[in-house]
Amino acid sequence: MTTVKINVNGKRHVHEVEDRTLLVNFLRDTLGLTGTHIGCDTSQCGACTVNVNGRAVKSCTMLAVQAQGAKVLTIEAMARKGKLHPIQQAFTECHGLQCGFCTPGMIMATAGLLEDNPDPSDDEIIHGLEGNLCRCTGYVNIVRAVKRAAELQRGAQ
Amino acid sequence: MEHHLLEVDGMRVSRREDLRLMTGAGKYASDWNLPDQLHAFFLRADRAHAKIVSVNVERALKHPGVVRIYTGADAVGAGYTRPLTMLTFKGKDGMQVRQPERPVLAHGRVRCVGEPVAMVVAESALIAQDASELIEVEYEELPVVIDPEAALAPGAPQLHDNVPGNLPFEFEAGDAAATEAAFAKAAHVTRLKLAVTRVAPSPMEPRACLAAYDPRDERYTVHVHVQGVNMMRKQLAAYMNMPEDKIRVMARDVGGAFGQRSLGYPEYCMQMLAAKEIGRPVKWVSTRSEGFATDSHGRANYVKGELALDAAGNFLGLRVDWIADMGAYLTPTGPVSHLRNPSTCLTGVYRIPALYGRWRTVLTNTNPIAAYRGAGRPDVAYVIERLVTQAAVDTGVDAAELRRRNFIPPEAFPYKTPTGSTYENADLPGLLDKALKLGDWQGFAGRRSASGKAGKLRGIGISTVIENTGAGLFPKDQIEMHVAADGTVTAYTVCHSQGQGHETSFAMIIAETLGIAFDRVRVRQGDEDHPLIGNHAGGSRSTVGAGSACHVTAKKLIEEGKALAALELGVEPSQMAYANGAFRTAESKRSITLADLAKAKKFVVTAEGSFSSTFPNGCHIAEVEIDPATGVTQIASYITVDDCGRVINHAIVEGQMHGGVAQGAGQVFGEEVVYDRATGQLLTGSFADYYMPRAGLVGEISMEEHPTPSKVSPLGVKGMGESGCTASLPALTTAALDALRPLGVQHLDMPLTPSKVWSAIVAAKAGR
Amino acid sequence: MYQFNYVKAKSLKEAGELLAAHPDAKLLAGGMTLLPTLKARLAQPTHLIDIGSLAGIKKITLKTKKLVIGAAVSHHAVAVSDEVKKAIPALARLAGLIGDPQVRNRGTLGGSVANNDPAADYPAAVLALNAKVVTARRRIKADDYFQGMFATALEPGEIVKSIEFPLPLRAAYAKFAHPASGYAMAGVFVAQVGKHVRVAVTGAGAGVFRWSAAEKALRKNMSPAALDKLTVDATDLNEDMHASREYRANLVKVMAQRAVAQLAGQ
Repeated sequence: MTTVKINVNGKRHVHEVEDRTLLVNFLRDTLGLTGTHIGCDTSQCGACTVNVNGRAVKSCTMLAVQAQGAKVLTIEAMARKGKLHPIQQAFTECHGLQCGFCTPGMIMATAGLLEDNPDPSDDEIIHGLEGNLCRCTGYVNIVRAVKRAAELQRGAQ
Repeated sequence: MEHHLLEVDGMRVSRREDLRLMTGAGKYASDWNLPDQLHAFFLRADRAHAKIVSVNVERALKHPGVVRIYTGADAVGAGYTRPLTMLTFKGKDGMQVRQPERPVLAHGRVRCVGEPVAMVVAESALIAQDASELIEVEYEELPVVIDPEAALAPGAPQLHDNVPGNLPFEFEAGDAAATEAAFAKAAHVTRLKLAVTRVAPSPMEPRACLAAYDPRDERYTVHVHVQGVNMMRKQLAAYMNMPEDKIRVMARDVGGAFGQRSLGYPEYCMQMLAAKEIGRPVKWVSTRSEGFATDSHGRANYVKGELALDAAGNFLGLRVDWIADMGAYLTPTGPVSHLRNPSTCLTGVYRIPALYGRWRTVLTNTNPIAAYRGAGRPDVAYVIERLVTQAAVDTGVDAAELRRRNFIPPEAFPYKTPTGSTYENADLPGLLDKALKLGDWQGFAGRRSASGKAGKLRGIGISTVIENTGAGLFPKDQIEMHVAADGTVTAYTVCHSQGQGHETSFAMIIAETLGIAFDRVRVRQGDEDHPLIGNHAGGSRSTVGAGSACHVTAKKLIEEGKALAALELGVEPSQMAYANGAFRTAESKRSITLADLAKAKKFVVTAEGSFSSTFPNGCHIAEVEIDPATGVTQIASYITVDDCGRVINHAIVEGQMHGGVAQGAGQVFGEEVVYDRATGQLLTGSFADYYMPRAGLVGEISMEEHPTPSKVSPLGVKGMGESGCTASLPALTTAALDALRPLGVQHLDMPLTPSKVWSAIVAAKAGR
Repeated sequence: MYQFNYVKAKSLKEAGELLAAHPDAKLLAGGMTLLPTLKARLAQPTHLIDIGSLAGIKKITLKTKKLVIGAAVSHHAVAVSDEVKKAIPALARLAGLIGDPQVRNRGTLGGSVANNDPAADYPAAVLALNAKVVTARRRIKADDYFQGMFATALEPGEIVKSIEFPLPLRAAYAKFAHPASGYAMAGVFVAQVGKHVRVAVTGAGAGVFRWSAAEKALRKNMSPAALDKLTVDATDLNEDMHASREYRANLVKVMAQRAVAQLAGQ
C-alpha cells in the first residue's frame, strides 16, 4: 500500500491505495469520478483518457502511484458553472456523440490535440484521434466537432 | 453541418441527453454501486470443448476476502439451465426446435472458450480474480468443430446429446417447386457462395451488472445495460423459472448495444442467486477481453445464393441455401432473427416470381450468436445485392439498369412478396434516379481513369435495399404521460435508448403534438416505478413503436384534458378547443392551461398502440480506390438516398446512418472474429487483434431523403437505425470488387483486408 | 494485475541496486508495454522500479556528430523536439507515428528499445542509424544489441541510459500500421550515413533486421527504382490472420521504396 497525493480537478486528494491500483480505478472507485470510463483492457479505446500534468494519457495504463504529486484533470472539470467547454459545445452542436460512453475520453483527447495543434486539418484530426474508439458515430461528426471546437477555441466565432 | 439546436438549461445542444453525457454525469451499468456490495469474477473455460472432470475450489475458498464460490452444480441445482427461446414456430417438415440446455455456469462440459465455469464472490474484484487462479479444473479434451459446414457433416463432433447432427432447427420459406421450375426455364443463372462473417458488435461500454435481493418483498433488483427493461426481465425470469414481477431491472445510460445488449446473459442469473443467498449485492464488471469471448457475436451466415434470369434480364427466381452458425448454444434472439428477417425480405426490392430458401441453424464450439445491428437484414441484402450485381456483370447489363428493370414498381405497393410479407410502399425508380444523380453514376468512367493515372484502381458499387423494421416481441407499446403543476409534461417509456436519443426525439414528438415548447417535455426510460408494456429498442423500432405511442398518448391527453377543462369551465367537452398547451371554449374567450388542470387534480394519461412493420428502403452508392501496391482500400465517396418516411430529427437520423455505414465498412474492410480451426481458441480476443473502425475510415457521406408516406405509424415514420449497415455491406463490397474486376478478380469474401486484396491482385495477375 | 511493490528510484544507481536485490523486479518507465502485460496477468514481478521521472535520462542533447536521447524521453518529446527535427527529422517523424497520442505522451525510447518488441518502431531507427545503446556499463552497437524477438544484449540488471544516434546525411521511415494494434506490420528505416546505406526492417520478422540486398542496391542508386528487381524472402517472416508472410514481404519492399522516395527531397 502507498499513500498517494494527487491533485484532481483542482482538489488535493490523499488516499492509501494498493500499488497495483490503476489511475482510472482511483478516479472512479476511490474518488467516485465515474465520468472517466473503461472501455478496454489493452490501451486501445481511449475511453479512460484524462489529462495528467498537461498531457492526455490513458488512465487505464498508468498506476495511481505513478501520478504521485501530479495534477490530473478529468471530464468533470471541463464545464464550469453551467457553461460548456468549447469542445463540449462543439460536440453537441455537431451531434458528435450518441451513446456517450466514448465521449469523455474523446473530449479529453481532443483537448490534448488542440493544445498541440490549434488549427488541425482533417488528416491531423484523424491521426490525433487514433487512440480513441467510437462505435456509434462512424466518427464523421466527431471529426466535424473537433474542427468546430478548434474554431470556437480560436474565437473565430 | 448545420442543424436545429435545442435550448436546455440556457445551453444550446443537439440533444437533451448530451448535457449529462458530455460532462461525465452519465450513469452507465458499471457506475452503479450499493452499500456493502461484493464483487464477482468468472473463471472461464480456456478450451473450446471438454468434459469437466472436476472443479476443486478448496484452495480458492481459503483465500482471504473470498465469500463464496459457485460452480456448475450450483447452477443446475438452482434449475438455471434453459434460456428463453423465441423459436416457438415450426420449422421444415414441422420441426420443433431442439433447444440445448445451457446451465448458467457450465456443468459437466464446456462447449466454447470463455464459457463461465465458476463464479468467485469476494470483497473486491481483484481478490475474486486472485482467488479464481486457485481453482483447479480438470478437463478431458473433446474434439472441436468450428466451421459450421463441417459441424453439419456426418461424423462431426457432437455438442449436445439432444441436438443430433448439431442441427437445432431447420426452416424453409417460399415455394421450392415453383422456384425449381423458374430455374429450369432460365436463360442465365448467377450463383455465389458468400460468407457474411462473424463479427463482434463491440459497443464501447463493456458489460456490467449489479444484482441485489430484498428479502422483505422477495424481489431482485438488477442494474444492467438494457435495450428495454421488459426484454431483460422476461429473459432473466425465464432462465430462473420465476415470475417476472420478482425482478426489477433498473438502467439509466447505456453505452451502445446494437442488439448485443438485449440478452439476459447467464452471468446475471448467477449474480442474482448469490445476492439472494449471501444477502449482499453482487457486482460484476466485464473486461473487454472477456467481452470478445462471451458477449454475443453477430452475423456468421454462410449462404449459397442463386438468381435465375430470362434472356431479357428479368428475374425469374431466387434461391438460398443458408447456414446460420449459432455458436455453442441458442440465444433468444439469434436463431429467430437470422431466419425470420431474411425470409421476410428474401425478394429484396425486386419483383421475383419464385423464391425459396432453406435455413439450417448449426451449433459449433464458438461463442453464441445473437442479433447485431440489422440481425439478418444486412445479411440477406448482402446476398441479394451481390447476386444482382454479379448477374449484371455476367449478362453485360449496367448494374443500376438491371436493378431498375426488376424493381417492384411504385403502383404494385402494397406488395405481397412470395414469402408472405407485405411491403407497405416505396418509390424505387425515384430513389434510384436521385441516387444516380447524387453519385454521378454516369461520370464514373472519368473518375476511374483519373484514379488509374494516379496508379489506383477505382470501383463503384451500388445497393438498393429494403428491410422490415418496427414490429416487436411485445404486443403493444404503452406510454404513460404526467402533467405537472408547472405545466411540464413527463412521458414514461420502457423503450431504452442506447445512444439513439429518445429523450430528445420522443420529446420533440410530444412537444409537437401538444403544441408546447420542447423544454416543457421530459422523457424517462425504464423507470422502475412506471412499469409498462412495450418493446425494447431493437429492430429499428423505437420511433415507430414508442415514438408513435408518444404521439397517440399526447392526443389522448388532449382529449381527456378537454373533458376536464370543460368541467372546470362549465361547458360541453365538444365546445372545447385545444392549442399550444391551453384549452379554450369555442364561443367565449375563457381558457385553461394544461398546468391549471394539473394544479387542480393529478393529470395522468396512459395510452398505447400496436404498430406493425415498416419498410424503409434506400439506395447507396460507394466508390473506392485501391492501392495495388499494398491492397489498401479507401472509400473515395459514399452517397445515400433513403426512404425512412417522415424524419423527426434530422441530426439523429444522419448520425444513425453514419454509424451504420461505418459498422458496415468495418465488417467489409477488416472486422472478423477468428477462432483457431483446430483448437477453438479465440484469435481476436482484444482491440489489439480485432480490427475496429477508426476516424477516417468513412469520410463525408452525402445524404438525401426520398420519403414515401407510411400509414403504419400516425407519425409517418419508418424505422431506420439499421439501414446504414444493411445498405453498406453490399455497396462497399461490390465497389471493391468492381475495382478489382478488370484484373480478373471475380469474387472475394469480406473482410477485404489489405493482405487479402493484395493477394487477389497478385493471383489474378499471375493467372493471366 | 498481481500484487507488486512499487518503488520510485531516486537514481539510476539505486535502480540498479534494487534490480540486483530483487531478481524478479521489473523496470517501469512509461509502462505502455509493461502495464498491459501485467493487466493481462502475463507477468508477475515482485517489484516495479520506476525510473520514468529521473531527470538525468530525460534529456535530448545535440552534439556535433551525434544526437543523444535519454531513455526516459517520451515519444511525444522526440516527435516535437527542435533538436531532433533539425538533426534527424526522420526520427521525429517515426516517434510521431508510434501508437497514438496518449501512448506517445507516456511511452519512452528506452522502454521501446529495452523491450525490443518485433513490431516496435524505434528498433528500426536505432539499427538503421547504427546507433549505440548506452548503459551504465557500456556502449552497445545496434548490430550487436538486437537479438531477435524481445531479446537484446542487455545483461540482467543492465539499464538503458540513452541512445546515441550518429547524424545521418539523410534518413526516412515508412510504416504500414497493423490495422488493429497500430504497431508496425512493416516499417522500414532507410539511412545514409556517410557513404554507408543502412536499411532496417521492423514488424515483418521475428525481430528488427537489416535488408542487405536493398542496402547494396541503394548504395549504387539511391532511388525507389533501385529496389524494383529485388524481392524479400518471405520464409522467415511473420504470418497471422491480418497478413500472410508473402504480403509482409511485399510491404517491406513497398515501404522501403516509399522511404527512399521521401529521401529525394532531402
